[in-house]
Amino acid sequence: MRTLHLHRAAVVGAVTLIGLGAAATPAFAEADSKVSVVHGIPGQAVDVYVNGEKTIPDFQPGKVAGPLDLPAGQYDIVLTKPGDPIGSALLTVNDAEVPGGANLSLVAHLSADGKPVLTPFANDTGKLAAGKARLIVRHTAAAPAVDVRAGGQPVFEGVTNPKEGKADVDAGSVSADVVLAGTQTRVLGPADLDLKEGTATIVYAVGSAEGKTLDIVAQTIDGLHSAPGGVPSGNGGFADQGTPIAWYGAGAVGILLAMFGLTRLASRRR
Amino acid sequence: MSTPSHGGTSRRLPGRALLVTSLGVALATGSGVVACRSQPPDDFGPSVASVSTSPVPAPAATTATAAPAGVPVRDGTLPARAATETPPARLRIPALDLDVAVDAVGIDAATGDFAVPPSVSRVGWYRYGPGFSSPAGSIVVAGHVDSAAEGKGAFFRLGTLKAGDVVTLTGPGGKVREFTVAARKRYAKSAIPLDDYFARDGAPRLTLITCGGPFDPKTRHYRDNVVVTATVRG
Repeated sequence: MRTLHLHRAAVVGAVTLIGLGAAATPAFAEADSKVSVVHGIPGQAVDVYVNGEKTIPDFQPGKVAGPLDLPAGQYDIVLTKPGDPIGSALLTVNDAEVPGGANLSLVAHLSADGKPVLTPFANDTGKLAAGKARLIVRHTAAAPAVDVRAGGQPVFEGVTNPKEGKADVDAGSVSADVVLAGTQTRVLGPADLDLKEGTATIVYAVGSAEGKTLDIVAQTIDGLHSAPGGVPSGNGGFADQGTPIAWYGAGAVGILLAMFGLTRLASRRR
Repeated sequence: MSTPSHGGTSRRLPGRALLVTSLGVALATGSGVVACRSQPPDDFGPSVASVSTSPVPAPAATTATAAPAGVPVRDGTLPARAATETPPARLRIPALDLDVAVDAVGIDAATGDFAVPPSVSRVGWYRYGPGFSSPAGSIVVAGHVDSAAEGKGAFFRLGTLKAGDVVTLTGPGGKVREFTVAARKRYAKSAIPLDDYFARDGAPRLTLITCGGPFDPKTRHYRDNVVVTATVRG
């Protein structure tokens, strides 16, 4: 098996992180962003430097680090072989733009044509309805367009590197696989995805089809749950403790009777 | 007008008028008593927010926050199937002579509501939230107060629970977890703070929910929810 060899020469600016898709606009960029780092390049552990500081040492392929709390701003990110000086980088991205208040995944992966790149994805952390889970599938592999199927049915079609498919689905277990777009040729899976309620499950297709290193890396973001819409728990009416209207009527009649009787008594004494 | 004059004209005894008066007074008093007695009992106990924020035995310290200096790193493997909450099997409330089976339930797909078991003699545990052995958060069990088809439900008298009453959950293998009633509240369904009652963090607690308040015979719905919060005993 031949995994892709990373050249020591820096691949400078392989990706510009400008225009982070649907990420929060920097107009109200006050809060820190949560930034996870995903290692999707097979066969090469790395040290990750953020603004010149070694932040994730000996970061292994298939691992997910973070989230880091990063204030909005521009960041220089460098990947080196473990222990190598920052000058001899495998991958360098300067001035990566991190907006405020966002949840991002920074993915080191192969481009469609097999070059190591760093791609930022904005993670949808919107609240889920009760009983639902969010499934996000990201194509970050050196492979052509694919369809993602769940239970044999295509759910995301024609996904290309570096795009994603996303859906909110019923929580529970689903058997998923990945096929070449428009074909039955399976390239990944099938795998059982346990989609936990109130959680976003992000699945990355990584590696290289040519190098036969295709694999998946998963990341989850929890705490997106909501309460049920309501708790309907009775339709009999037996427990209505309110005063039946007849009793109010009786009370009114009683007061009238008493007044009438008193008037009679009083008038008789005149 | 009622100047008493003992030499008044009392051709007839004032019997009928007296009778009418006393009957009227009796009726008015009686209905007043009924109206007062049928008022639901007052709420008691701390608000749900203060229950949920009381000291937690720090269960939230996952592996992610363990390393103070370094960045937490995890395996990017698919989430394990086994990571589900433990379902409670039975709920016992001695003060209500209640010993009832607990079903694990989720959401009614058609309405987005809590899928309370249709049988009034069973109650439902919200399986997406904290479970029998959860160290934090609100274990929610809901049951019918009644149903048109089956009459009174398991939680018919939930609203009569008092502070300090014991509530027991039985888990798998007969393990028992005891709670004591700390609060009982009644809310219009439109105003109940469900996010707090279904919170998955904060102090461990048991939340029992049913219906109550005025019943609308047209829609066949109760206006309110009755909620009992019980905290871990001991």
